[in-house]
Amino acid sequence: MRRYLLRRVAALLATLFFVSVLVFIVVHVLPGDPALIIIGPEGSPEAAARLRKAMGLDRPLPVQYADWVGHALRGDLGRSIQYDVPVTSLVLSRLQVTLPLTLLAGGFMVAAAVPLGVFAATRHRRLPDYVTMALSQLGVAVPGFWAGLLLILLFSVRLGWVQSGGFDGWGQGVWPAVKSLLLPAVALGFFQFAVLARTTRSAVLEVLREEYVKTARAKGVGETSVLFRHTLGNAMIPILTVAGIQLGQLMAGSIVLESVFYLPGLGRLALGAISARDLPVVQGVVLFVASMIVMINVAVDILYGVLDPRIRYE
Amino acid sequence: MTMWPRRRWLGLSVVALVLVAVGSAAALAQPRGGSLVVQVPTEPPGLDLTASPASAIAAVVFYNAQEALVKVDRHGKLVPWLAERWYTTDSKNYTFFLRRGVHFHNGREMKAADVKYVLDRAVNPETKHPYRVQYEAIQDVIVKDESTISVTLKHPDATFLWTVARQGSVIYPREAVDTLKTQPIGTGPFVVSEWVRGDRIVLVKNKDYWQKGLPHLDKVTYRFIADPNSALAALKSGDVDVSGFGLGPESVDELKKDGRFQVILGDSTNDVTLSLNNSKKPYSDKQVRLAITHAINKEEVLRGAMFGHGKILGSNVDPLNPYFVDVSKRVPYDPAKAKKLLAEAGYPTGFDAVLKVAPQYYYTVRTAEVLVNQFAKVGIRAKIEQIEWGQWLSQVWKDANYDMSIIGHAEAWDIGNFANPKYYFRWDSADFQKLFKESEVTVDDKKRRELYVKMQQMLADEAPAVWLYMHPRLVAAKKGVTGIWKDLPVPSFDLSEVAWQK
Repeated sequence: MRRYLLRRVAALLATLFFVSVLVFIVVHVLPGDPALIIIGPEGSPEAAARLRKAMGLDRPLPVQYADWVGHALRGDLGRSIQYDVPVTSLVLSRLQVTLPLTLLAGGFMVAAAVPLGVFAATRHRRLPDYVTMALSQLGVAVPGFWAGLLLILLFSVRLGWVQSGGFDGWGQGVWPAVKSLLLPAVALGFFQFAVLARTTRSAVLEVLREEYVKTARAKGVGETSVLFRHTLGNAMIPILTVAGIQLGQLMAGSIVLESVFYLPGLGRLALGAISARDLPVVQGVVLFVASMIVMINVAVDILYGVLDPRIRYE
Repeated sequence: MTMWPRRRWLGLSVVALVLVAVGSAAALAQPRGGSLVVQVPTEPPGLDLTASPASAIAAVVFYNAQEALVKVDRHGKLVPWLAERWYTTDSKNYTFFLRRGVHFHNGREMKAADVKYVLDRAVNPETKHPYRVQYEAIQDVIVKDESTISVTLKHPDATFLWTVARQGSVIYPREAVDTLKTQPIGTGPFVVSEWVRGDRIVLVKNKDYWQKGLPHLDKVTYRFIADPNSALAALKSGDVDVSGFGLGPESVDELKKDGRFQVILGDSTNDVTLSLNNSKKPYSDKQVRLAITHAINKEEVLRGAMFGHGKILGSNVDPLNPYFVDVSKRVPYDPAKAKKLLAEAGYPTGFDAVLKVAPQYYYTVRTAEVLVNQFAKVGIRAKIEQIEWGQWLSQVWKDANYDMSIIGHAEAWDIGNFANPKYYFRWDSADFQKLFKESEVTVDDKKRRELYVKMQQMLADEAPAVWLYMHPRLVAAKKGVTGIWKDLPVPSFDLSEVAWQK
């Protein structure tokens, strides 16, 4: 187990190194010049050239990369060009929106998808199965931003139950903060719920066809026990794999919904930074999200062993 | 500009001020304080007006936190502000007399030395001031005494007072220069108290504001909501009180019908322009450019792209400019003539063109779609290419690597762009450059107006670009909010006189 963990950590570091090189190259070959964007069409190209020099963007790329990685290793991701504050503190302040939003959406997703998937599997090719699958088809088809707008129209504009967007911070109390994340979490989780419900259904269906399930039933084991003790546990591996991938996607998918609900999250930070060519922020956010996703994958791998004792880490 | 017309302006604005004061005293029984939530589409990239011309910065900071010696008021007129009066006989030597007893947010009194510091810094090439070109005429700034300052220019410049009134000329204390980006200290009616990056900026009342009785509001919260649908929903659910910029023209009718809101539609300095690359064939041919102009039905463009809101333009001067004349009829919509001109220029079967637009500005795409249709009728086969704003700036604006493009030119007094052959229109006309140069050094207002009329006519006749329409200023607010500017002669969102009416 320890050797396995060491290997995973080494792989994590290697991944981060590649991500850092990749993101650095991508943001620097991206057409568009940060100085030009700051100066804008009403300034002069000469002013932009002076600014470029002052920001150190005229140095050779390898020098700029070494400088950036050197600082990043010491926990310093640089300063935001547009905000003039450290990137690290920007990322951390945005996490208090994106992290709870992702977890909340993930919670909704699992809580709705797994029971519904199991339910549909046990009613295979009967009406409840078709209804569930139609519902999840809808989830796949409806874009998150549109679902978000519909939710705002219903719950904020018409009913006035929750605010239409924005996030006033955790300082206002836990419930008001969670309340302002409810609608975006539902809208965000809806799409992923649909995918997970389908995965759960087919995984459970597959196990239900196994010989040992037949044996259990023949021995007179109750249907509830068959379902939860014999089937679900064994169907968990594909469900967990998909859920893990989806948790990462939720984080990435929050970009659109953060715009619809004007939430100050990581996604909107990245989006704004890309259009402003705030290179240190883009680099910092991508590096951060990449490491989060890699860590989720490691956690999923470790959970495999917990769920299925046959899997050994050698 | 001579002394006489300025005095007349001053007189007029005093009369206007009295009228406004009397009028609002009657209508506005009781301006009330309280707090206001304002939606703006973009978060400012820093709060330093002297580092970036972004209008998102001006919408928060200009006139609210920081002010200049001279102010452009809600009618587009220059009025004395931090300078209570000024003096010039030749438009080359200016003396400004500062208002006494004006304090910065940090408590220190504003002195002539601060003004000198601000102007010197703007001229200095090391400071990367985005508008440095505007200040290049300054030769010398001399502090006469604590509240008198004189500025000598290298040559007469009739637009210098406008330069002093711009958002890049705000007066800040020398000791706060390094923190302008995060804490813009100034003399304005509000103080920036909190900036939650990505979410909101909170301004609170400056209790020691030099204008007694102002501002009315105690607190203003700016919320950044980019999506127009979300902005509309936020307004309707009551989460924001005023939608400052960014609502689409399609929302106007719906909001007008809703008894809870007022819609303010006014003029702006934003000229939506079809830019042509004059250094490239076939756009270097005047006949082709005129054919393109004749092919465009601007009324239809305005209806199709802006639901009819805005005003048709004929040249590069906006309706808020005192020298504005309507030249839009000089080259009218006439597709038959457009075809004829194209044939004469050697393009009887038309030509292919790429129309580069940046969807960050929604109106550019909508306008392009209408134009492509109109072009097809005369044989111009235009293809829309959507590029991201950063790419637009490097491809189109910096490198002039384009055929046609559409963008709003929001700067007031920007006709000089056409006198600059390096500007992305790449139009090099010695006659126009001469006219513009003359207008810059002409002090007499009447003569200057004549020159401006000539320039507008020449632009219309030479068609180095096609001026389509003025983008309307569009604000929606809850009923009961008063004091919002109708027109937008400067890119500010002046909240000093905004109040809740009982």
